[in-house]
Amino acid sequence: MSIGEKFNEVYDSFFKKTWSPMTGGVLLAFLAILMVEWKRPWGIVGGIRNWADWFFYGIGFYTETPDHPLFHSGSMMDMGLLAGAWISAVLAREFAFRVPPMLEIWKGLIAGIFMGLGATLAFGCNVGGFYSAIQNLSASGFTMMIGLIAGVVVGLKYIYWEMEHFTPGPAGPTFLGNLPPFLGWVAIIGLIAAGYAYTSSEVEGANLMPGYLLIGAGIGFVFHRSRLCMVNGFREPFMTGEAAMGKAVAMSIILGALGIGLLKFTGLRGTGLYVETAFGWGSLVGGFIFGAAMVVAGGCGSGSLWRVAEGQIKLWVVIISFALSNSLFRHWFEANEWMEKLGSAVFLPDILGYGGTFLLVIAAMFIWYLVIDWNEDSNALVIEM
Amino acid sequence: MSDIKKAPDGITANHTLDAKGLSCPMPLLRTKKEIEKLKSGEILEVLGTDPGSRNDIPGWCSRSGHEYLGEKEDTGFIRFYVKKK
Repeated sequence: MSIGEKFNEVYDSFFKKTWSPMTGGVLLAFLAILMVEWKRPWGIVGGIRNWADWFFYGIGFYTETPDHPLFHSGSMMDMGLLAGAWISAVLAREFAFRVPPMLEIWKGLIAGIFMGLGATLAFGCNVGGFYSAIQNLSASGFTMMIGLIAGVVVGLKYIYWEMEHFTPGPAGPTFLGNLPPFLGWVAIIGLIAAGYAYTSSEVEGANLMPGYLLIGAGIGFVFHRSRLCMVNGFREPFMTGEAAMGKAVAMSIILGALGIGLLKFTGLRGTGLYVETAFGWGSLVGGFIFGAAMVVAGGCGSGSLWRVAEGQIKLWVVIISFALSNSLFRHWFEANEWMEKLGSAVFLPDILGYGGTFLLVIAAMFIWYLVIDWNEDSNALVIEM
Repeated sequence: MSDIKKAPDGITANHTLDAKGLSCPMPLLRTKKEIEKLKSGEILEVLGTDPGSRNDIPGWCSRSGHEYLGEKEDTGFIRFYVKKK
C-alpha cells in the first residue's frame, strides 16, 4: 500500500466511516471535562432557550432584553455543536434536507412542547439534567435518569400503538444532498477565524466564547461521527435489546464524573456548578415527560440538535418547538418563583464524600451497563410490538 | 469504524417498504413490522433517507437472525435489502 492509499484509508476512518458508540462516548467525556476546565459544564437547553427568548422579546411578549446570542455561553455551545455536526455530515456526504411525512411533523411539534416542559421541571434536558448533572455530582441527575427510563417505556408503547393505527403518508423531497465535502474544511477555517475574532472584542466575557464555540464544535463532530444518541441508549434495550449506545453513555458518564469531580475536589471549579434545586419530584416528573417525548421526537436535546445539522426537517420542528416551549415554561415558572420549589439542590459529596460519590456513580453506571448487556443476550426487557 | 456493505447486483426484492423521510427509530420499527409479512427466504427492500439506518438495520439483522444483504445508493435515498430467516 502506498502512502497515498494509506492516507485515504486513514482519512476515511476519521471523516467518512461511522465511529463506534464507545469511541464517541469516551471522546464526549473528554470534551465535557474540557468544557468545565474552560469555564462551565456543557449544556443544550440554555442555548436554544436564549434563541427562543429573543423571538418572544422580538414580538413584544417579553420586556427584558435577553443576552446577546453571540455572547451567551449556552448559545455559543449550541452553535458550535451545530457547526461541528454539519462539518461531519458534509465531509461524509451525509448532509441533505429530508422532509418527512406530515404525521412526523405533527409528532415533532407536540413532542417538542413536552420536551420543553420536561426540561423546565428537571432544570435541563438529558444533557444538563442527566448527563452533565451526574458528571457534576448532583443527585438530581439520578432521579432524572429514573424518570427518563420510565418515560422511554411509555413513549415506546405510544409508538407501537401509533404504528397499528396510523400510516405516515408520503415523504416530502430530499434536497441539497450533494454539497461538496470541501465546504466542511471551509467551515473549519471559518470556525477558527470566528474564535480569533472574539479575541479583539471588548465585550465582557468575549474571551470565553472561542472555547464554547470550538469545544461545542468538537462535541457536535463526535456526536455525528459516532451517531451517539442518548435516546437510543435508553430506548434500544426495550425496543431491540441493542445495548451499544447505552453502554457508551454509561462509560462516558463515569469518565466525565471522575474528571469533573476532581476539578471540584481540588477547588478549581465551584461545587455548586450544575447542582440545581431539582432533586426530587422536579427531575423525576421532568425526566418522565422528557423521556416519553424524546422517543416520539426521535431525538433528545443533543440528538435532536446534531440531526438538525444533518438536515432532518422533523428535528428542526422538534428543536423550534422545544425551544419556544421551554422559554415560555421557564419564564412562567420563574415569574411565579416555582423553580426553587421543584426539589432540593443536593451535591452528593456533601453527604457521601468524594470517594463515596465516585463509588456511587461507578456502581450505578456499572449496574445499568450490566443489566442492558445481560438484556442484549436475554431480551428480557424487550417490549414486543 | 464500520464499513458499508453493498448489495449484490441484480438483486430483486419480494416486497418493498417505503420509509423515506422517516427518522430514527421509525425506519427500523417499520422494517421489523413489515418483515413479519414475508415468508422465510424472501427479500425485503427498505427505501430510506436516514443515514442512521446504515447502522440500525444491519445491527438489528445480526441480532434477530435475518440476513442483511447490503444497500444501494439511489437518487436521494438508499435501498436496504434484508433476507428473512
